[in-house]
Parts: sequence; C-alpha cells; structure tokens
Amino acid sequence: MRAIDYAIREAWASLWRSRGASAFAVVAIALAVTVLGALLLLTSNVERLFAQWSSAAEFSVYLRDDATSEHRGAIEALVDRSGVAAGREYVSKAQALSRFRRDFTELDGLTQGLDDNPFPASVEVRVLGEAERDGRADALVQRVARLPGVADVRYDREWLGRLAAGLGAVRSVGLTLVLIMALAAGVTVAAVVRLGLYARRDEIEVMRLVGSPMAFIRGPFVAEGMMQGGLGALLALGLLWVGFVALGAWWGGQLSLLLDGATLRFLPLRLAAWLVAGGMLVGAAGGFAASRHAA
Amino acid sequence: MIEAHKLSKFYSRGLYALRDLSLSVGKGEFVFLTGPSGAGKSTLLRLLLRQERPSEGDLIVNGHNLSTLSRRDVQEYRRGIGFVFQDFKLIASRTVLENVTFVLEVLGVPPAQQRRRAFQVLKWVGLQHRVNAYPRDLSGGEQQRIAIARALANDPLLLLADEPTGNLDPDLSLEIMNLLREVNAGGTTVLVATHDRELIRLVGRRTITLDQGRIVEEA
Repeated sequence: MRAIDYAIREAWASLWRSRGASAFAVVAIALAVTVLGALLLLTSNVERLFAQWSSAAEFSVYLRDDATSEHRGAIEALVDRSGVAAGREYVSKAQALSRFRRDFTELDGLTQGLDDNPFPASVEVRVLGEAERDGRADALVQRVARLPGVADVRYDREWLGRLAAGLGAVRSVGLTLVLIMALAAGVTVAAVVRLGLYARRDEIEVMRLVGSPMAFIRGPFVAEGMMQGGLGALLALGLLWVGFVALGAWWGGQLSLLLDGATLRFLPLRLAAWLVAGGMLVGAAGGFAASRHAA
Repeated sequence: MIEAHKLSKFYSRGLYALRDLSLSVGKGEFVFLTGPSGAGKSTLLRLLLRQERPSEGDLIVNGHNLSTLSRRDVQEYRRGIGFVFQDFKLIASRTVLENVTFVLEVLGVPPAQQRRRAFQVLKWVGLQHRVNAYPRDLSGGEQQRIAIARALANDPLLLLADEPTGNLDPDLSLEIMNLLREVNAGGTTVLVATHDRELIRLVGRRTITLDQGRIVEEA
C-alpha cells in the first residue's frame, strides 16, 4: 500500500515537473483513443440501427393501375394466410401522393403540374422477424409477385447485408489503425517516462543501493504512464463528445431524415469506461517498458 | 563479517582489477583500504555493495555469498549495508530531512518512524538545525555528514565509504573520520577506502594496502 501511495505521489510530481513532454504523451494517447472511440461510436450506432432496421423489415406490393379489388383481395388473403405478416396496410394512390408531399416538401413542386397521379397504390406488409430470418418472407414475396394485378414487389434486404459487410471492413481497418496508433502512443509514453527516469537517476541509484523493493523503483514510472494514458483517454472522450454534439447541432436534421427518424447516441458509459481503462493500460505498458532501465 | 577467499575480478582481455584476494574483516572492526589509483579499492567496494559480481573466488558478507545472490536477495542484502561516497550522492531536489526520510520511505518504513529516525541520525551528525536546507546550501563537510546520516538511517551492520574525504580539506576530513569512528564505536563494521595516508596515520586503525589488485601490506 505504501508503495502504491509513493508511486502515485512521485508519478504526479514527475508529471507536473515534465508537463511539456507529458502533454505530448497525453496527446499521442488521446489521438489513438479518439480514433478508437470514433470507430466505436460509428459501429455501435450502425449496429443499433442495423438491429432496428432488421427487426422492422417490411415489403411493399405495388399494384398495377388496372388492378381490381378482387386482385387486391387475393393478395391480402395470401399475406394473411401465410403467417409471415405482423400486419399490413393498404396505401391508395392518393395516400401515396400525399405521403410524398409530406416527406419531401422541397420536391412538392414536381407533383403540382401533373395531370395524373404517378404513384401506384400498394400493400405494405410488416414481416415477423422470425419469418424474415428463416426465409418464409422471401418465399411469400416470390408468390405474391406472381399474382395478377401486381406491378412490383420491393423487399430489398441486400443492402442490409452490404451494410453488415461494410461495417465489418470498417471495423477491421479501424482496429488495425488503432493498434498501430496505440503502439505509437505506448512508445511515446515510454520515451517521455524515460526522460523522467533520466531526471531522477540520482534518486534511482540511491534507491537501488539501499535495497529498495522493485515496486518502489519501477512503480512511479508505471503510475506515470498510467496517468498519462488516463488523461489522454479522458481528453479523447471530451473531444469525441464535442464532435458528437457539434455533429448533432449542424447536421442533426439531415441525419435524422437520412436515418428514417432514428437518432445517434453517444458511447455508452461502460464503453467509455473501457476506453479510459484501455488508455491507462497502454500508458502503463509504456511506463513499465521504460522502467526496465531503472531496474 | 567479511570473508574473501581467492577473490578475483577481471574484465575483458584479462584485465584484472582484483586478483586472488583473501581477507577477513571481523564484526565491529574499522578497516582502511588504501593503495594507489587503480589498486582495486573501489572495485572491492563495488563487489561488497554487489554492484558487480566476483569473477572468481568467494566473497561472503554477514553470511551472504555475493556470487550467488538472486536479485531479490541483493535487495535484502543491501538493506543491511550503508554507503558513503566521495561525491555524497545527495538528491539536490530534496531537503536535508527528505534526503534521509526518502531512504526510509522507499524501504517501506511508516511515515512517523521515518521522521523520528531521520531527526535522530541528523542530531547525531550535528545537523538537526539544517533539516529544511537543500544540499546546495551546505558546505562539503556538511553534505558528507548528511550522507553519513542517510547511511545510518537504516541502522546498517556494515558501512562502506569510498574516498569519503576526497573532496574535503584536512580539517573536515578528520571531522568526518571522527564521525565514522563514532559509528564504529556503536558496533557497526566500517570499511573505508582512501589514498590519504596522513589521515590513516592520524586515525590509526587496521590498514590493508592494495596494489594492482593484490594485497601488498597489512598493518
């Protein structure tokens, strides 16, 4: 316990004494953690939206303009019997037009001079998650597409697959980048801690000669690295928060539209705590490596 | 206390710093090591502090065979040894009191005991009134007295001094030697390496003379 108390006091004093160089190490760690944090922020949000979109799967059956009420009835009967649908809604041509005008107000002018309503009527079917996963939804879509009165069926799940693959690629590249940056940050911390080690060489020599335990000799350097790592990670979280708030303030509206009303969320507290712990670990590793020269 | 048997220390290309040295120093003795520069005095002290390992032979101090000590054992061994150097090795950024308490702190001594013991040894060397001074504010003699106080803080069985008066004038040198004699009178074994023949004559204790790594005279 006394060794820990001593290590923290000495580390803090050293951090303050060489604050210029320490700031450099803190910034290096902050950069690495910022990249990792940004990656986590992106992937956690995309994963959440992905899950949301996956569970909210639906397909639209667009009707031909000459489709009769019998045609529509047959479609709805097939959907109801299939056990695939969680619900369905008929959207008439007029409803489709007014929905377009409501969602895309800036494009409203395009629809003003038209003689005919170009939007088709449709039946929108909300699919059960289970049916979406076991392929029954796909089978139903194919059967519905063959019914008379059907112009087209939209059940585009491929983009979700592409999104998942893209997310995986971003994660791989990002993690590689983070590993390289973490290594660079660790080396920077080690270099800065070695400066402190040089400044305290007389003390270290005396400590070694009096038989001081290794915990007292190396502890302050490990603690110093850990503090630099922790401060760097906190700085990174602060930067990420500012960036996140700014993003929301400037492009929040457009993003919400783009994401179909979904909102972005900042990193969960547990993940943020892991980031700080990670920064401290990288710093401690750098400090530990540097302290070998004191042993 | 110290037993050396056919002790040798050599470096690359057969350069011997010590050669087939055998000696015995009893508990509570005061012994001078003398000889010209390069005779092997400092090498023997470095071996005794276990800063270096013997190349050949045995060196046993207070029951510890210094050739076979593990790193952890070296720490334990050094806690029973005090040291004083020519350049004092005081920490410039710490006060007189802190220079002494620092050693006790890094040995895990509780804070209250650190201060009590530090005041005790500083009073003993006559510098209790300079506790808040920094080494740069002290004379050479005072700095060496602080170094002796620090060496005594852990109540060592053996005190090693490497040219402790090398940077001091004759009067201060004698003062430091008298202090070391007092340390010895308290039961601590003292081994002093010096090339100051006059000082040895004045103090008048057992003297081992080295030359080219061998004992050439013992008086």
